[in-house]
Amino acid sequence: MLDRLLLLLLFLIGFWGIIARRNIIKKIFGLTIINSAVVILFILEGSRIGNSTPIMSSGIADVVDPVPQALMLTAIVIGVCITALALAMAFRLYRSAGTFDIDEIRRKIHDEAS
Amino acid sequence: MTTLILVLLIILALYTLLSRDLLHGTIALSAVSLLSAILFYYLYAPDVAITEAAVGAGVSTVVFVWAIRATERRDSGK
Amino acid sequence: MMKRQRVISFLQTFLALGAVLAVVIPVFLSDFPWPTSARDYLEAHGVADSGARNLVSAIYLGYRAFDTLGETIVLLVAVSGTIGIIAQSGVSLARGFGEEALDRKTASPRLRHRRTELIDVVTGKLGPIVLIFGLYVMLFGHLSPGGGFQGGVVIASGIVFIALGSKNEDSTRLQEAGMLARIEAAGFLSLILAALSGMVTGSGFFGNPLAGMGASPVSYIVILNAVIGLKVGAGIGFMCVAMMGRVE
Repeated sequence: MLDRLLLLLLFLIGFWGIIARRNIIKKIFGLTIINSAVVILFILEGSRIGNSTPIMSSGIADVVDPVPQALMLTAIVIGVCITALALAMAFRLYRSAGTFDIDEIRRKIHDEAS
Repeated sequence: MTTLILVLLIILALYTLLSRDLLHGTIALSAVSLLSAILFYYLYAPDVAITEAAVGAGVSTVVFVWAIRATERRDSGK
Repeated sequence: MMKRQRVISFLQTFLALGAVLAVVIPVFLSDFPWPTSARDYLEAHGVADSGARNLVSAIYLGYRAFDTLGETIVLLVAVSGTIGIIAQSGVSLARGFGEEALDRKTASPRLRHRRTELIDVVTGKLGPIVLIFGLYVMLFGHLSPGGGFQGGVVIASGIVFIALGSKNEDSTRLQEAGMLARIEAAGFLSLILAALSGMVTGSGFFGNPLAGMGASPVSYIVILNAVIGLKVGAGIGFMCVAMMGRVE
């Protein structure tokens, strides 16, 4: 239970990073932290029902649940793809606005629109 | 053991989001990935540990360092 | 005025965190016991169904192969999208990708002095070792921890090492962005062909074509692992190598 409370705290820290930091790179840091927290949650929950690695040799019984591990493999690779795309877009935004600060960018868009 | 690693993860995540220098934050994020890889190995998930170590400490850090090097390094403001 | 602004933003953050907490607490802190039926079935039938001892490989190549196909498509789209967004902003990417060759003699002094002995020794000499380890992890995925994705990302790290640590212009063609893009496309095509080959022998899409014949059904798993590993490794390596090119 304590482990899951700590994971909830990690998730909230990542989410706070997304909504409360003004720098775009800090927001992407928060995205990566949320990804890590959810992956650790699934692996932690799947490991409660067994006590050995899911590789069947002779005489191995009572293995850990292998389904969450297979799903999290995909999740980690997709997470890095999302990070790369987000950083490419942030780079593009910097080239056209000159800053990473989200309030300045919003002000510039407002000034250009009016 | 799990609880200890999770506490370290929380401290490193806070440092990532509160540091003034973006490069320091990137190194702290790569340390988060390394600690998660150790945790996965401890929880009987070696496939996920290999993937997380290679992706988090390798590819993700390279992409972040490229983005910071091509733009700016100080986080000015809040 | 500034004080009121700060109070409003603090209140917004607090409310947003509260809403997220209300949604996420039942997921993280539920007392429902994890069901064991999947583990029991896989423990009993996993090795016999697909021939692989590593149950995780049996899942993502045998029982849930469509997830793997979708994930390779997502990787393809993400890599093309990233390169497309960067190339459109007027920045020149790595050499060999439609740009002129970077001449080391006439490059700026900062570019020339940046490479130190430490980087050359550690990454340049360690690169081939990491590549061999990635090949091993990729091809032994059905017997020990490893497989397509794991070996693929280790191969991508090896490619990044080689591209970082090479002193001469063309020490190996593996660090050219154009070559890596071609390997990735070939890997994706081979994956589709391997998936369709099951339909020819009557086992359905992604079915094992060697199910009734003399060869052991695990060679299909090995072929799938190799193809996925090449595709993932070349894709992510191409993205990293293209980012490390000249950025003005």
